Amino acid sequence: MTAVQKRVLVNKIILALSTLSAVIAIAFLFWILTVLVMKGVGAFNWNIFIYEGSPPGYPESGLKHALVGQAILVGLATLIGVPLGILAGTYLSEYGKNSKLAHFIRDISDIMMSAPSIVIGAFVYAVVVMPMGHFSAWAGAIALAIIMIPIILRTTDDMLNLVPGTLREAAFALGAPKYKVIMDVVYRGAKAGILTGVLLGIARVGGETAPLLFTSFNDNFFTTDLNDAMPSLTVTMFNYAISPYQDWQQLGWAAAFILSMFILGLNIVGRLILFAGKRK
Amino acid sequence: MASIIDIKDECALHVRDFEFTYKGAAAPSLKKVTMPIAKHSITALIGPSGCGKTTLLRSFNRMHDLYPGNTYAGEIEFEGRNILGAKEDLIHLRTKIGMIFQKPTAFPMSIFDNVAYGMRLQGIKNKTELNDRVEKALKDAAIWKEVSDRLKHDANGLSGGQQQRLCIARAIAVEPEVLLFDEPTSALDPISTQGIEKLVIELKERVSIIIVTHNMQQAARVSDYTGFMYLGELIELGHTEELFVTPKEKLTQEYITGKFG
Repeated sequence: MTAVQKRVLVNKIILALSTLSAVIAIAFLFWILTVLVMKGVGAFNWNIFIYEGSPPGYPESGLKHALVGQAILVGLATLIGVPLGILAGTYLSEYGKNSKLAHFIRDISDIMMSAPSIVIGAFVYAVVVMPMGHFSAWAGAIALAIIMIPIILRTTDDMLNLVPGTLREAAFALGAPKYKVIMDVVYRGAKAGILTGVLLGIARVGGETAPLLFTSFNDNFFTTDLNDAMPSLTVTMFNYAISPYQDWQQLGWAAAFILSMFILGLNIVGRLILFAGKRK
Repeated sequence: MASIIDIKDECALHVRDFEFTYKGAAAPSLKKVTMPIAKHSITALIGPSGCGKTTLLRSFNRMHDLYPGNTYAGEIEFEGRNILGAKEDLIHLRTKIGMIFQKPTAFPMSIFDNVAYGMRLQGIKNKTELNDRVEKALKDAAIWKEVSDRLKHDANGLSGGQQQRLCIARAIAVEPEVLLFDEPTSALDPISTQGIEKLVIELKERVSIIIVTHNMQQAARVSDYTGFMYLGELIELGHTEELFVTPKEKLTQEYITGKFG
């Protein structure tokens, strides 16, 4: 065998191995999605949007309580997390830059991003739930916001950094004060990137269960009281899935299906926006 | 040793014993620069890379202040005061001394909003006035015909040369006294370059212009006065024709004949 033939052979082996690995890795994702779609579509019917949770055996049961609760929790977390994340990212990129404090915040934020979410749940349990004396939507939303902030903070920081410095200088050269430069020019230039960060942040917390277990807890009935325990799709899914009742298990599959489609959709939209922004 | 001509006409700016030191640098990047800038004419700054010409240009609108730690010494006189003073209102100064950058810097907004940006900063809200002044600025920047039917379109859709003229329109819309050009054509094709040069010459009737250029031919084509800088010093300032034909300093002669640089 000549040296060239040997190289060609090695090349083919490596290519085959890496392709196989990629296929195996991606196969699990499709396996999960396939099972989810098959079971989810089977369990899906319009009644789940109309009825709230009910004891096992009742035909009129649905997920309205969990869907609304999920929307409230994630919405509230977004309201808390997005402004904080964007403003903190703005500080890092526009004011702190390479200062020690800025680097410290970046490092801490990176650590927080990989912190187990149940730890954040435990933290919120200690500082919010314990003093209040009961579970609440507020506590759940705060836990989700804490998970969301580092994601939005880092993407905002990165995206603002991509705005060319000359663009800022050009605005300053026209006599713009700094806050105007940031709001009119820098934010506009990084609009698509920041929006993507926000969507990915929402998608990330949308699938969280652990931090909600001991903050917003759960409720099998419809509620909009922010000071009370609140149902979420994830915790409901968990409770229904481990229950011995078949109709609850079915609702669990439906919840899993809706949640996955929602998060998949957010991810796709986020990436599309980023892609469209880059192409320009 | 430096040969600086005395400008008899009215001056827009006077630089006297000006020194500039970047943050953390041991030696100043500009050393004892003294130069008059004639009003309503074009002064070109030439010299090899690193000679300090852009550093000098960016001192006129105190652009260096955006990055803390840099220090100025000496004096730059503008409208009867030293603009290097600590109490200088930089926002006001920058509306009087505008700047055009090397790469076009169209803001991510519509063509109209780009030109109106500086005026809106000054608090002009009247729609008729904004419309009139945007149109006038675009006409003065010789780009009106190309964009008049798409003022609401994103400015980033324009070509490089068009964007640069848009930036000039944006800068003249606030009616500055002085315009600083930092190698405005180095990122452009020859035809766009020609357009910008023509425009710069037209503009000197209304504003005093300082242009930094790597291109000696460009300096010769457009400017009335040329300053040659080397290693942070102004070696020679003279009428452009005299400087290029009969330079007084040996260094200048060597540079313009291509012996170094």
